[in-house]
Amino acid sequence: MAVLTAPDRAAPTSATLRRTRERGPRRTPPLVLAFVLVPLLAEAVWVFWPALQGFYLALTDWDGVSPPRFVGLGNFREMAHDSVFRTAALDTVLWLVLFGGLSALLGLGAALLLQQERRGVGFYRAALFLPVVFSLVATALVWQAIYQPDGVLNQMLDALGLGSLRHAWLADQDTALYAVIVPALWRQIGYVMVLYLAGLKGIDPALYEAAKVDGAGRLQRFRHVTLPQLRGVNAVVLSVIVIDSLRSFDVVWSLTRGGPYHSSELLSTYMYSTAFQSLRLGYGSALAVVIFLLAFGVIASYLVRAFREAD
Amino acid sequence: MTNLQPSRRRVLAGLGSVGTAALLSGCVTATSTAQSSSKGAVTLQSNLSAPQAKAAMEDLAAAYGKKGSARLSLNTVAAETFRTQLPTYLTSANPPDVYTWYPGSVADAYAKKHLLLDLDEVWESPDLKRYSKALHSLCTGSEGKKVFVPTTYYWWGMFYRKSNFAKWGVQEPTTWDEFLDLCDKLKSKGVDPIGLGAGGNTAWVASAWFDYLNIRINGAQYHRQLLAGQHRFDDPEVHKVFDRWREVLPYFDPDGTAVAFQDATTSLLNGRSGMMLIGTFFADAAPKDALDDIDFFRFPVIDPKIPLAEEAPTDGYFASARTGRHDQVTDLMRYLAGVEAQEIYIKGSSGTVLPCHPDAKDAGTPLVRKGRQHIEAATEITQFFNRDSSDALQPTADTALTKFLAKPKSVDGILTDWQREAEKIWRA
Repeated sequence: MAVLTAPDRAAPTSATLRRTRERGPRRTPPLVLAFVLVPLLAEAVWVFWPALQGFYLALTDWDGVSPPRFVGLGNFREMAHDSVFRTAALDTVLWLVLFGGLSALLGLGAALLLQQERRGVGFYRAALFLPVVFSLVATALVWQAIYQPDGVLNQMLDALGLGSLRHAWLADQDTALYAVIVPALWRQIGYVMVLYLAGLKGIDPALYEAAKVDGAGRLQRFRHVTLPQLRGVNAVVLSVIVIDSLRSFDVVWSLTRGGPYHSSELLSTYMYSTAFQSLRLGYGSALAVVIFLLAFGVIASYLVRAFREAD
Repeated sequence: MTNLQPSRRRVLAGLGSVGTAALLSGCVTATSTAQSSSKGAVTLQSNLSAPQAKAAMEDLAAAYGKKGSARLSLNTVAAETFRTQLPTYLTSANPPDVYTWYPGSVADAYAKKHLLLDLDEVWESPDLKRYSKALHSLCTGSEGKKVFVPTTYYWWGMFYRKSNFAKWGVQEPTTWDEFLDLCDKLKSKGVDPIGLGAGGNTAWVASAWFDYLNIRINGAQYHRQLLAGQHRFDDPEVHKVFDRWREVLPYFDPDGTAVAFQDATTSLLNGRSGMMLIGTFFADAAPKDALDDIDFFRFPVIDPKIPLAEEAPTDGYFASARTGRHDQVTDLMRYLAGVEAQEIYIKGSSGTVLPCHPDAKDAGTPLVRKGRQHIEAATEITQFFNRDSSDALQPTADTALTKFLAKPKSVDGILTDWQREAEKIWRA
């Protein structure tokens, strides 16, 4: 008997195995379930619910104190005739192109330059990445001192004999937006560089070897090997810079508050000043909805195209 | 046996019930009527964050604590954060009890929404009964109840350094023509005659020029009506203000819209600019040794037929209607309205404000004595642009005025835009 029962214990029958396999995935341990549901609940209360409320508030007129008054699409109709909204939207597009485009290009350039392991390359990578760890408000304060009428930039121009180019950089409507983009770029390039460095490290060196054997030059290797291999990273970088462009707020607010007279106004700063300075929270929420739709629209359309190409 | 296995339907049902619970519990936009706890210290939310003013508030809190009637917890918040958060504080379910803020239309806007504590019984105290009639009416809401306890006031004027004026051989002007002559003389000495400080985060300083030119040209009554939406910003009367302003624009510091008022006052103290239209609060950040050298003159009279008005904003406190510490709050308010509290504040700060209590001593300096006479000589008193209108209207003025300073010829378009933006605020 002992001999007969022993194999039974050691090796379960195929029927019991099947039963165990069937039950396994269905019975999720309560702890694992809690790890999923608790954050989901927190997210629902602190993120999804306020976001939904934002959509509702966009349809109201609300001063933050009295109960909101439902106005339907009135806020969006007003937006169509609002010249400041048009300025802010155009500035946001300009910001997206300049800040987004330049940070992608310069980040890729820096990554290509610093991808090879050479002596001292770590120092340059760290130096380029350093601005990312500073808070944007602290960054803005430093740049404010640089841009002051008696600041470092104007003093440098004087020292170089270019005193005629002296400027009140942040107080002039012709220069304010560009002056604000520089510190934002200074910070973003290091971040994009790290994303591209990770992408470049993931490319199989055999592809370059094969290209070399086929007689491809540097530019051809870049065009036909590097760029196609970075397609996955590009999607990430694009998403990051579109989101970062549309939520760019702190650096602009700290330096110019969207001024002078709305010349560096972005949709985000206009949303903030409308909601919290002019206390028109309904209109501010409508602007937030527009920002959300823009971010969602740009990223979704890119991703859909990227997936279609991948198929 | 209970089936604990999750299913998509169950999860969705669960999420649905969470959503329903959230809906039933009310959303952020619903106005709560709950009261704060009656236990613990009275919380005083203060926007006085300049070093000397903050230190003076701490002295005040300590002195009140020593009295032993109730404890006071002081919470100092940066002025800009305080301003934007104030509606949230007042509408929250458990708000701070007492706040530093402004009387007049600014306090009344909250009083109309029943967010401020009725302070009629506080005004029954012997101290407050002796306050001037003007302060009584300034602190009464449009519904006839007292909603504010005033404690100090200060004045705006053209400030300068006595030693610098002596060095340049110039004197205080009284009329507009004398003022223009003074500007000419200062310019000939290589000094920027007028400092401004409407850059950085203090664009609102430019409103002082608008206020003063308007009360000198059109009078205080017209000014208040304009800010209340009873006149238009593109009216011919308002155009006259900018015509006058254009006459002095060449004498303004060219960096006037590039630097904040703190930097502009540094330029004034260092003699890089000659004079500056500012309130005495700037002295809270000035070195103590420079205070004796500071003097001021009245904004020049433009039309002698217009009754003389001055900007003299009053500061003080109001309390949340939802406080659960009603008795402690009224006790604190009575203390703040008294002689001891006002003298402690004046002693601890730069001492350039005047107490509201008729018996409280001011700093006693020649500057303060002159400031008191300056206000007493005025037929009418205005507060300041945002205090006579609303905080919401201030950004419209900031945009219009900084644009005018950069593009004085585009005044027609600027005033049309200003009116359009202001209408949105008045309609809201």
